[in-house]
Amino acid sequence: MMKTAKIAIVAGLVAGMLAGTALAQDKSLNMIVIEGGDTTAMQAVVNAYEAANPGVTINLQPYPFAQFFQVAELRLRSGDAGIDLVYVDAPLLASYASRGFLSPIDAAIDTSSLVTSALEAGKYEGAQYALPINNSAQVLFYNKALFEAAGITAPDGLTAGETATQAEVDELAETKRWTWEQVADAARKLTVQEGGRTTTYGFSVEQFGELYQLQPFGESLGTDVIGPDGYTAKGYLDSEAWTKAATFWSDLYNAWGVSPRSLGYGEGAQLFGNGQLAMFAAGTWNIPILSETDVDFGVAPYPYFEGGKVLTPTGSWYVGVNAASANQAEAMDFAAYLTTNAEGTRIWFDSLQQLPTYKPLLDEISTDASFDAFPQNVFRLGVYDSLNTAKARPVTAAYGQLQDAFRTAFVDIANGVPVADALASAVQKFESAAARVAP
Amino acid sequence: MVGDAPPVDRMTNSRTPVLLIAALLAPALIGLVVFRLYPIALAAGDSFFNVLRGQRVFVGFDNYIALLTDSIFWNSLWVTLWFNLLINPIQIALALGLALLYVQQFKGVTFYRILFLIPIGVSLPTAVIIWRIMLSQDGLVNGVLGIAGVPAQPWLTAQSLALYSIIAIATWKGISYWMIFIIGGLQNISPEIYDAAKVDGVKPWQQLFYITIPLLRPTLLFVLVADVSINFLLFAPIFMLTQGGPADSTNVLMYEAYKSGFIFGDMGRAMAIIVVVVAILLVIVGLQFRLLSGKGAR
Repeated sequence: MMKTAKIAIVAGLVAGMLAGTALAQDKSLNMIVIEGGDTTAMQAVVNAYEAANPGVTINLQPYPFAQFFQVAELRLRSGDAGIDLVYVDAPLLASYASRGFLSPIDAAIDTSSLVTSALEAGKYEGAQYALPINNSAQVLFYNKALFEAAGITAPDGLTAGETATQAEVDELAETKRWTWEQVADAARKLTVQEGGRTTTYGFSVEQFGELYQLQPFGESLGTDVIGPDGYTAKGYLDSEAWTKAATFWSDLYNAWGVSPRSLGYGEGAQLFGNGQLAMFAAGTWNIPILSETDVDFGVAPYPYFEGGKVLTPTGSWYVGVNAASANQAEAMDFAAYLTTNAEGTRIWFDSLQQLPTYKPLLDEISTDASFDAFPQNVFRLGVYDSLNTAKARPVTAAYGQLQDAFRTAFVDIANGVPVADALASAVQKFESAAARVAP
Repeated sequence: MVGDAPPVDRMTNSRTPVLLIAALLAPALIGLVVFRLYPIALAAGDSFFNVLRGQRVFVGFDNYIALLTDSIFWNSLWVTLWFNLLINPIQIALALGLALLYVQQFKGVTFYRILFLIPIGVSLPTAVIIWRIMLSQDGLVNGVLGIAGVPAQPWLTAQSLALYSIIAIATWKGISYWMIFIIGGLQNISPEIYDAAKVDGVKPWQQLFYITIPLLRPTLLFVLVADVSINFLLFAPIFMLTQGGPADSTNVLMYEAYKSGFIFGDMGRAMAIIVVVVAILLVIVGLQFRLLSGKGAR
C-alpha cells in the first residue's frame, strides 16, 4: 500500500512537472506595434529573446502609424486578452493607466539602468506602468548647398567628414544654438519662388502642427501649454508666450511663406531629400533616410526663441503589459528584456538607431570612438539635449484631447485663421473635453 | 363574372402561406434588426453611461443635458443643418436635370450616358483621394484656373471654401446614383400624357413643372428621403479631407461624434450625439413624407 501511495505521489509530481513544462512551452504572446522600422527592430529583439527562452513565442501585430492609436484604444478598452504587450506612446500613458488598461510594472524588474526622466514619464500617480524603449531627439537639418547658393552662413553643426567628441558637441549645443529668429531670417532668404509657385522652401517642421514638435515654441518663452492640474488651458495655451509662438508659426506660412502647408507623414524628409527644403526641424530618426540621398547636409541643435529658455522635444515609445492579459509574468519578462537588458537594448538600438534610455548605451555613445564620426556623432547631440534641455509632454489623462485641440489650432493658424481666435477655440475645446475625463 | 370572384379570394385566404412569407422575409428582417435596430438600441443605451476611471457609470440624461450648453455641439449642429440645406436641393435638382438629359435621344447619347455613370463605379474613398489631389494648392483645378488668370484657391484649407468643396465632391459622387432612380420614374410616365400636352400647345417649361415633376413625386420622395439620410450621415470625405476644420467649418455632427468616441474615448457623449442625429433625421423624414406623399396623392 505504502509503495503504491509513494509511486502515486511521485507519478503525480512528475505529471505535474511535465504539465508545468508543457504549459510553459505553450506560451504564445501577442504584441501590438507600429508598422515599419519599429516592427523590424522589434522582430530582431523577439528573435533573440525566443532563442534564449525556448517555449515562449511572441507574435507581433503591426499597425500603420495613422491607425495605431485608435486600434490600441479600442482593443484595450474592450479588455481584449488577445494582446499581452502594448507599445505605448509616452503621453498616452496617463490616459491608459487612469482607465486601468495597464498592469503596474513588476517591482522585481531592476530599472536602475534607465534614464530617470524617461522612467518618470512612465509613471502615473507614483506607480510605474510602462518602461521606456528608447528616447527621441529633435535637431535642425540644413542643406549646405542651398545656404552656399543663397550666400548666407549656415548654422554651426555636425557635418560629413568631421568628427566631434562629446565635449565638442556639448559646447556646440551650449553656445552655438540658433534662435528661431535666425532661422526665420535665413529661411526668407532661402525661399525661392518661380511663377507664383514656391520651388524651394526655407524651413519646415517635420510634424505639421503636432504638440510633440511645437511644445518648446511657447514653453521656451516661459509658459507651459497647460496648467499643472492637467485640465486647465486658459492662461496657458492662450497666454502671451503662446500667442507670440503661434504668431511666429503663422508668419512662417502666411506672412513670409517660407514653409509648406499641410505636410503629411514623411513628406518633409522627402522635400529635404529632393533639395527643395533648406532647413528641416526633425527627429534624428531621419538620418538613415537622408544619408541615402544626394543632399550634403549638416545637423545643428534644435533652435529656441531669443531671450527664451532652451527646451527641446523628448519622449518616445514605452512598453506596457495589458491588464487583461493572461500571461502577466511572461509579458513582464519580455518587457524587461527589451528595455533593461544589455542584449535586448543593443539589438533595438542597432536596428532602429534611436536615442537610447539605457544608461550603459548612452555612456558608450559619449565615450566610444565609433561615435566620433558623422552621422553617428549626432547621437551625442541627443545625449546633451536629453540630459540638459529635454522637456517632457504634460502628464494628463486628457492628452488625446490636448493633442487634438492643439493640432487643430496650429493647422488652422497655418491656414490663415487669426492666432487669437484659434488659441481661444483650442482652450475652450480642450477644457470642455478634458472636463469630461477629469477626476 | 361577379360570382366568379369570391371563390378565388377564398382560395388565396385559406391558402395564405404564412410560413413561406415569414421565411422569405426573415433574411431581410433579421438583417434589419441586427444591423439597424440593434445598433440604434445599443447607441441609445450607451448614451446613458459614462466611463470614469475604467468604471461604467450610469448618468441618466447627463450626456444630453451637457450637450445643451456645449457650444462645440451647437456649432456642429448648425454646420450639419447648413450643409444639408445646401447639398440636398443641389443634388436632387442636378440629378433631375441629368436624368432628363439621359432619356433624350440625340447623337452621342451613349457616350454621354457612360460618362455620367462613371462616378457610380468609383468607390467613395478613391473619389475623395483623387479630388484631394486635384484640389491641392498645385493641383489640376488651380492649374486650370491659373490658365484663366484666376489665382490659386485654398479649396480645402480656407474656412470660407472647405464646406463648399466637400459639397461639390459629394455631389459629383452622388448625383449619378440618384439620376438612375429618377430615370426609372421618368420611364413610368405614360408618353400619351406628353402627346396630349403637345396637342394642347404646352411649352417645355410648363411640361416640366405641371406634368413631369408632379408625376415624378413618388420617385422624388424616395430620392429626397434617401439622399437626406445619406448626407446627414456623411462622414468619409470630412474624415479624409478636413477633419472638421478649418476652424470647425466642416465639423458635422457625425465627425464630432466620431472624434468624441474614438479619439477621446468619450462614448457617452458620442452616443448622445448619434441619438440626436437619428432623432433629427426621423423628424425631417417624417415631415418629408407628410408634405410630399400626403397631398400628392390627389
